[in-house]
Amino acid sequence: MTRSPDTTRATKAGRSPAPDGVRTPTTNVWHGADLLGTRGVPAERLRELLTLARARRESPAKSLAGRTVATVFFEDSTRTRSSFTIAAQRCGADVVDLSSKASSANKGESLADTARVIEAMGVAAIVVRTSRAGGAKMAADAVACPVINAGDGAHEHPTQALADALALDDAWNLAGSFDFGGKRIVIVGDLSHSRVARSNAASLTTLGAEVVFVGPPAMAPRSLGGALGVRVSHDLDAELAEADAVMALRIQLERGAGAMLASSRDYRSAYGVTQARADAMKPGALVMHPGPMNRGVEMDPAVADGPRSIVIRQVAAGVAVRVAALEAVIGSTAGNA
Amino acid sequence: MNAHPAAEPLLIINGRVLDPASGRDETADVAIEGGTVRAIGPNLDRSPAARVLNAEGCLITPGLIDPHVHLREPGQTHKEDIASGTAAAVSGGFTTVCCMPNTAPAIDTPEMVAMVAARAREVAACRVFVVACGTQGRKGERPAEIGLCATAGAVGISDDGDVIASAAMMRAVLAETARAELAFMQHAQEPTLTVGAAMHAGSVSGALGLGGWPREAEELIVERDIRLNRAIGCRYHVQHISSGGTVEIIRRARSEGQPVSGEASPHHLHLTHDTCNGYNTLAKMNPPLRERTDVDTLRAGVADGTITVLATDHAPHTAEEKSAAFADAPFGIIGLETAFPLYAEALVHTGAIGWPRLIELMTVEPAKLCNLIARGLGTLSVGGPADVTVIDPDLAWRFTEAECAGKSTNSPFLGRSLRGRAITTVVGGVVRTERERAFART
Repeated sequence: MTRSPDTTRATKAGRSPAPDGVRTPTTNVWHGADLLGTRGVPAERLRELLTLARARRESPAKSLAGRTVATVFFEDSTRTRSSFTIAAQRCGADVVDLSSKASSANKGESLADTARVIEAMGVAAIVVRTSRAGGAKMAADAVACPVINAGDGAHEHPTQALADALALDDAWNLAGSFDFGGKRIVIVGDLSHSRVARSNAASLTTLGAEVVFVGPPAMAPRSLGGALGVRVSHDLDAELAEADAVMALRIQLERGAGAMLASSRDYRSAYGVTQARADAMKPGALVMHPGPMNRGVEMDPAVADGPRSIVIRQVAAGVAVRVAALEAVIGSTAGNA
Repeated sequence: MNAHPAAEPLLIINGRVLDPASGRDETADVAIEGGTVRAIGPNLDRSPAARVLNAEGCLITPGLIDPHVHLREPGQTHKEDIASGTAAAVSGGFTTVCCMPNTAPAIDTPEMVAMVAARAREVAACRVFVVACGTQGRKGERPAEIGLCATAGAVGISDDGDVIASAAMMRAVLAETARAELAFMQHAQEPTLTVGAAMHAGSVSGALGLGGWPREAEELIVERDIRLNRAIGCRYHVQHISSGGTVEIIRRARSEGQPVSGEASPHHLHLTHDTCNGYNTLAKMNPPLRERTDVDTLRAGVADGTITVLATDHAPHTAEEKSAAFADAPFGIIGLETAFPLYAEALVHTGAIGWPRLIELMTVEPAKLCNLIARGLGTLSVGGPADVTVIDPDLAWRFTEAECAGKSTNSPFLGRSLRGRAITTVVGGVVRTERERAFART
């Protein structure tokens, strides 16, 4: 049952790679593979996807015309599902949404069953979100078609991390090098429960950046640093001085580690990206948030809408990387599914 | 035990008879007749009526005892039942198991104790003793009828699977258990520290995004209970120790003369949280697999006499149940068939202890814990019950699903090459397991 930590797989077992002569050279490696996470994915593969995202942003292609993509969300999501839907449509694919919040569908076995049933309907790829860590892998293990993880519990959310990397490359005028060497990125919030933080820790580090996790001890335990290969700090002010970008995460005060917080104002006083903290950052340093945002808690409204913010660029980049992800894993074999 | 072939005269010859209770350790024969041990000694008379087993190169030990198994009957017999669970037991060399009361319904009344015991007499392949609940329905809200359960034959008290979270309730249960002259067996898990926990809180849970079960959750309960028990003096036993810190707490309490003991399971003596990588639900157990330091401390705790009991926590679950997402899959693994070679590998082959001590930890020590000494169990004595296990300590074999005698195969040790195995298990003079070498007429 164990598998290497590499969260993508080149080609699933028992399946021929791709019909001869119809593969696009840029998507050779990803074709037929799952995109389950960023951890363990080599830099060249991340850059390949990100380069494709940039290319398709300039010149859209109906590369998936006649193909069908299924979005299967077992957990509430408006933005990510919409983003995948728009991305699939931009590639010319049809999208069928089979989302269900029914709690039984969140359980593992029915997740595998659901994936099998959807595959049998003839889809080219399945985009899945579950509240269970490892849920996307369970779906991927159950089917032969590629699976894209749109978030599995507190584990991974790879397309969000790729979107953040694309937005950073744009904002830093790196012209598609995706080389973040020398950059320091602070991620602040509930790291323990954040799949965005885990995916970003892996991809940003692989692309050369130094990542620092900052949060209250209940949300940013020291052990997390060793697990993810990042530094952990509980002092936002000290870390912001040297940061090239700060990414604030949504705080869920009502549950999880949030229940251990005194109040939103108490959190904001220590860990909010306030105007004063933004003012103290280096010139040109960026402010990010994957959304949805509690304005005035993890970030002041003036900061979110201010000159340092690339929050909206992150959203746009999200569609671009999802176009690339779908095209890469499905392969632009126009026609038969 | 069920009405299997009647007890017949047996003679086991030329083995290393290892009976820690009496101190016997010599090459000798064991003669069995009418369900009892007739004689022990070198070169016994080979009665022509007896079937003979040549145990040369093998250990001849008192029947092994596992004080912590889940037989799942009544109520969860899709996972296991008394017949299948005891089939696994005798396959692994066990002649006695003590079953935990987290069945459906829970074993929390004298009627339930008697019913399970009666059912075992009908269908079981080995001796089954019942551990009864500390609180009604294992809910932790009201004490169970501990005294009546003891009278009905319960050999220990536990809410295993759940802790008794309330200190006030724990004090009441300890007092009642002391009055019944039984041991209380605690599943030590502070509940507020383990909300949503699926595995050890550490680097692997951090990477996998799974809820963590910190060591402190076990240690706090053990510290609390030992403090509560000072004024009560109940025999207090910590089940399935997972944390090195717990070993130290027990060591200190024992050095102060407190009536405290603890048990180690095969998986906690071998595996770490890394086994959970890939969301391997066969490595999901409660308490969880921890780190190398904990494994080493547990082994050291066995070596220095802090941990005096070995117990499998045999916990069958179906493949369907274990195929759920990690967070949803049930805790626990089976353990009866693999227990002996895994203990041997962790403890004897490493030099931590010798064979006599290992057998002591698997016979007389659990017999003491569960008041089985008075029943003549845990030792080989002339006139006593003929519960005998013959073990080839060097037999090499591979553990596969085909080797599982029970209903479930949920083990992280599947595929592992093992050394040492019971080749014969005799329960009350009846041969229940016979492999590699067979009894023969002379």
